[in-house]
Formats: sequence, C-alpha cells, structure tokens
Amino acid sequence: MLRIEGLTIRARDRVIVEDIGFDMAEDRVTCLIGPSGCGKTSVQKWLAGVLAPELSVEGQARRDGRGLARPDPDLAYQPQQDALFPWLTIRENACLGLGVAGLSRRAARAKVDPLFTPFGLAGCEDLFPDQLSGGMRQRAAFLRTIVQDTRYVLLDEPFSALDAVTRLTMQDWLCARLRDRPRGVLLITHDLHEATRIADRILVMSARPGRIVADIPLTIAREDRSEAALADLRTHLKTLLLEDTQ
Amino acid sequence: MSHLFRILPALGFALALVLGWELYCALSGVSTLVLPAPSGVVGALVRERDEILRHAVSTVGVAATGFSLSVTFAFATSVALHFLPWLRRGAMPLLVASQTVPLVALAPLMILWFGFGLLPKVLLVILVTFFPILVSLLSGYRAAPRAFVDLMTSMGAGRGRIFRQVNLPAARASFFAGLRISATYAIVATIFAEYAGARQGIGIYILTAKNNFRADHVLAGVVVSAVLTLTLLGLLWLVDALTARRFRERRHAQD
Repeated sequence: MLRIEGLTIRARDRVIVEDIGFDMAEDRVTCLIGPSGCGKTSVQKWLAGVLAPELSVEGQARRDGRGLARPDPDLAYQPQQDALFPWLTIRENACLGLGVAGLSRRAARAKVDPLFTPFGLAGCEDLFPDQLSGGMRQRAAFLRTIVQDTRYVLLDEPFSALDAVTRLTMQDWLCARLRDRPRGVLLITHDLHEATRIADRILVMSARPGRIVADIPLTIAREDRSEAALADLRTHLKTLLLEDTQ
Repeated sequence: MSHLFRILPALGFALALVLGWELYCALSGVSTLVLPAPSGVVGALVRERDEILRHAVSTVGVAATGFSLSVTFAFATSVALHFLPWLRRGAMPLLVASQTVPLVALAPLMILWFGFGLLPKVLLVILVTFFPILVSLLSGYRAAPRAFVDLMTSMGAGRGRIFRQVNLPAARASFFAGLRISATYAIVATIFAEYAGARQGIGIYILTAKNNFRADHVLAGVVVSAVLTLTLLGLLWLVDALTARRFRERRHAQD
C-alpha cells in the first residue's frame, strides 16, 4: 500500500496543491483527474522524485508504513507522451531502467526480449522510435516502464498524443496488460472516458490550489463498462469538474 | 542527382563571377599588378605549386593541431561548466570578454610572449575556435528534453549517467554546428598568426608576395586558404555523416 499524506506543494507566489491525501493499492488503477493546472502532474512528479527543486513541499509518502524514497526503486514513472530517446533503438530504450538498476547489457536484453511479442512489438527491436507509429511508440514506452518490475507505476497522460481510435485500442491493451500483471497504477488523464474505462477509483481534483474534492470507487467490472452503464458516472464527474471551474 | 541540382545555382553563380572578372581584366586593361585575371591566378598556382605546397603543409599542421586541441579543451571545459554552475557563473563572463579582444592585437602579443615557434600560432587558433565550440556544447546540453532527464532521474540515474545518456547525445547537432563555425575560423586564424610572425605558412607566403607586389601570388594564397577551409568543412561533414546513424531523421511510421 502506498499512502500519501498531507501533501502541499508551493511555488514562491502560489500554492499548487493543498493537503492531498490518498492510498494506492498495489493491484488497483487510481485515476487522478482535474482541470488543467490543478497540480496533477506535480503530485506525480513529487512521487517520482523529479519535482522542480525550487518548489517547496510539505507532507509525506509511505510505502508499507515506511517512508518512500524519491526516486524509489519500487516505483516506475512514465512522463507525458512517450519520452523515448530518439538516438536509441527500441530495445535500448526498453533496457534503460534495467541498466540504471545495475543489470548488464546482456541480462537486460534477456529480460526485455521475451516481452516484445506480447507488447505487439515483435520485429521492432532494432528500429528507432521515429520509425514507429504513435501507438507502437506508446507500447514501447509501456514496455520500458513495465519491464522494471516495480509494484507501482505512475503514468502521466500516456494516451494524450494519440488519435481517438489508437487511444481506445491502447486503453484496452493497457487493461489487458494490467490483468496479466496487476500493478498499483496512478494514471493522470484529462479524458473522462479514459478514466471511467480504466480506473478502479477516480480522484477528482479542484482547480488551483488543487485539492481532492471527490473520491469515487468504480464497482462495475471493466468488461461490463458499457457506455450506458457509465453514463451517469460521467455526468457526475463532468458536473464536479464544471462546478469547480465556474 | 538531387545533390547536383542543389549545388547547381552556387556553381553557376561562381562561374559567372569568375567569367565576369576575367572579362573585366581583359577589356579594361587593368594592370596585373593591381588585379590579375583568374587565369593569371591559376597560372601562379601552377608555377608556384611546390612553394605553395610547402607553406600549405605548415599551415595545415598548425591549424589541425590548434583545432584538435581546441575541440579537446572546449569539451573538457564544457563538462566542467555543466557540472559546476558556480564555475559557469564565474567563468562565462571572462570567456565572453576574451572574444572581444581583436585578433589583430592578440596575434602580435602571442608572438611577443611565445616567440616564432609553433606554440603562439596554435594558441591563437585555440583562442579563436574554442568559444564557438564551448557555447554550442553548453547550449546543446541544456537542450536535452526535460522529460528525458526526469525519466532517468526517476529510474535512479546519477548525474554522470544522465549526462552520458541524455545531455551528450542531445548536444550532438549543436556541437557539429559549433564545429563548423570554428572550422571556418581555424585556417584564417592560422594564416593571421603566420602573418604576424612565422618562418613558413600560407600567411608568410601571402606576406612575401604582397611585399613583392605579386597580386597573383597573393590571390593564389587566398585560393589555397579557401580550399583548405572547405576541405576541413568537408571532413567535418564526413565525420558527421559517418557517425549519424542514430541521429538521422527517419520517417517510416508504420500506422
């Protein structure tokens, strides 16, 4: 269990997020939604240990009751879009985290190679990122994140750069991967459809200073989440977001 | 074929310039002591080839030594300035100020302090070519996307690894741009240093030719200087092309 308590992030002249607190279970997808600029990415960057040093922070994160190191080896972070290094092949990109963790090139390759087929990237190992389509690049970024075998994964708007059809395909694909190997996921998105399709729980943040104004568990199984079944929830979420921005 | 089409306008323009110059010399009756025709310059190049070659070898030696050392020093300095912000804040104003000293003042001082040997000429080439390479490297390091640095940091990478895997590759294009700018200065700076005081080199050849009122020989020296600079730029282009596999623009998205 990952617990965030009393998180407040301040810039010199303003409060970015205020008194944020929530738990993340190891096998659940927690979705953070809120208006632009409400501090969702700041929360995630703080957890990942990459928050800008000029921001001041109060609050703490605990993993299994102990203080969370930032960066923490049990937590993988995927920044907005795919952040694939253009000068590395897909295999080299996928091995990045393993190399940092101290694995030899051969050991990292042995761990990564079997995953290319399930990730739909067979034959792309030695290609460069700009030779792949948007969806394939996103899968390569997921491969780089997932292969680190961390218990928790932070995803910052992973599908925002994709077209509508690819986005739907990738959402289904991510759900399938998480069914195979459950992780505690903190997913940031602007897309209510995406949040309601993927999440086990949705945290709604207010406009700046960002606070959590609603904590909504999704009890409907993912395979039963039809448009009709989710309509009321989406209307409720939309109302919450609109109320806050008006 | 596309390369040929790309350089065709430049070739046409150069050819028109040379033809115009040749015609002007033939029709205006201007003295060859003042303005020799291009054919006269080519003639001087052919007649003086052994002498010019001897001087050119010396110039190339100085320029290559100075330029190589300059690249090495600029890289080492850029790494130090990247990792030590206080050093960057302290040293950058001095480095910028060093670029305001005119070459015409610097060259005689170098000769005065270090004599007529290799050292003052190499130092002058370093002083002239060092700054563009340094600045291009530093701005290249800073151009590394924030998301890449964040990703590596979140994985637990230290500053050294982030530098090697993110900042250094990100600086490649900027580095080669700086190298090309510096390369155009390298031969000119060497010739200027030779001009200020040396035993041999294209600078000395031009100086002697000027003192003997041989404008054709002066222009022959200028042609050799241009050819040397273009050769150096060509070599850099080759190194860039041979090492660019990972950095080439590719667009074969498989949607």
